[in-house]
Amino acid sequence: MGTKVLIIDDSNTMRKIVQRSLRQAGFEFEKILEAGDGQEALDLLGSESVDLILSDINMPNMDGLEFLRQKSQNDDIKDIPVVMITTEAGTDIIGEAKSLGARGSIKKPFTPDQVNDVLGELL
Amino acid sequence: MDLPKKIAEATQEIFETMIMMEATAGELSPETAKTFHCTVSGMVGLAGTFKGMLAIHTPNQVAMAITSNFLGMDVDEVNEDVTDAIGELANMLAGSIKLALSDKGRDITLSIPSTISGEEYTISCVAETDRVIVPFATEAGNFCVELQVEKEN
Repeated sequence: MGTKVLIIDDSNTMRKIVQRSLRQAGFEFEKILEAGDGQEALDLLGSESVDLILSDINMPNMDGLEFLRQKSQNDDIKDIPVVMITTEAGTDIIGEAKSLGARGSIKKPFTPDQVNDVLGELL
Repeated sequence: MDLPKKIAEATQEIFETMIMMEATAGELSPETAKTFHCTVSGMVGLAGTFKGMLAIHTPNQVAMAITSNFLGMDVDEVNEDVTDAIGELANMLAGSIKLALSDKGRDITLSIPSTISGEEYTISCVAETDRVIVPFATEAGNFCVELQVEKEN
């Protein structure tokens, strides 16, 4: 596919599971980058370009909502699509994430088919 | 609200969807304090209209089997992967229970998950709470999910 994706989650386990689900859903990326929280992601995006961001919400240091706020104020990265992968899907927090620019959400637990349904519309 | 049923449904959904392991719910445990041996516990705090704690307590061999299935790799010791996986499992369970406790999860905030592991430790209620402990059986052994909630008056 030749695209790059950034996975933001404080859980190393979940970052691995998301990568496996992407492969099982049939997505192939040129490069998969990882960050443990929003600040780490912003730092990474200062030097790396990506085509898609998959982000948790509930994280230490900088959570997913604050990451969306800061990303939206940075012209270099504000247009990169973000999909939230979170236990918070279906709650009011997802509405807030979408108002901050998130393009979709995937609720944990999820199947590769559900990943495909959401990402298929963006890629 | 039938909390044991909600806990059973949420747990089984996660096990079927992401761990590929069958988890059968058993009879409720009447214990008010529980001592764990060679166990990994993942816990998430609830704050807001419902205050309390959601925890999953997995004996080491069950924790390793869950992690192995979760990550698709062999796990033969309780390491960072195992504690992280059990913490994430608690996080997903808490997210589901949050939705069950409150419409659209409104006014309930979840903490970052934390884990405890060790040869022996005891977890007790420190306040007036409703405590529900649902045991589960899997092919790798038994584990339990615990919910303590204090409803704000």
